[in-house]
Amino acid sequence: MEKTKAIVIADAGPIIHLDELNSLSLLTGFDKIIIPETVWHEVQHHRPQALHHAADLAFVRLSALDFSPQVDALTPIYTLHAGEQEALHLCVEFKNSLLITDDTAARLAAKSLGVAAHGTLGILVRTIREQTRSKSEVLELLRAIPTQTTLHIRASLLAEVICKVEKNT
Amino acid sequence: MTTLVETKIPDQLWQQAQNMVQQGWINNMDALIAEAIRRYVESHQQLLSERFIQEDIEWGLHGED
Repeated sequence: MEKTKAIVIADAGPIIHLDELNSLSLLTGFDKIIIPETVWHEVQHHRPQALHHAADLAFVRLSALDFSPQVDALTPIYTLHAGEQEALHLCVEFKNSLLITDDTAARLAAKSLGVAAHGTLGILVRTIREQTRSKSEVLELLRAIPTQTTLHIRASLLAEVICKVEKNT
Repeated sequence: MTTLVETKIPDQLWQQAQNMVQQGWINNMDALIAEAIRRYVESHQQLLSERFIQEDIEWGLHGED
């Protein structure tokens, strides 16, 4: 399948959560996966094994060069952490990029900046649409979230998500 | 660090809050207001995060990159 043209800029959460599900390779469906330098250090600290295959997965480790005043202005409003800040600076630098984050504040800030943002669950489910994983494979991953990952999601909401994916044709 | 704010609160609600402070449920009105705001922010944060998850699923299943 042809890769999409979207440039993904990753926050630490989805990298860690996808690795916990042994599913980091799902990100290879994107054209380019940028890991901001600060995020790289966060992942290295919390889940170093997630970066063991970074070269195979063509992760690009990058520091933000342009610092957006809008991101600086949003930082105290949303209490953005260093990794989230750098990821958002890079999103502003790379037009039409996609931020992947599981942090609500970072997503709110992304919305304010007009930056598209999605989380681990979106990345997992997207693979059905992209036909890189079967529905049953994705359902298995979704069911493994509470026991296999550090991603917190209310049990009844996860059940709703699973139901929605099951019903999707 | 704290911020001084001025706000209008309905009389009846203010009275109820004062009663709670007087009865010792909370130390003072500053603490009560801070606690009320904190709870509001936290609860809406959860609602937002759940809405984002719903958006993720919709995008994952039917969206475009």
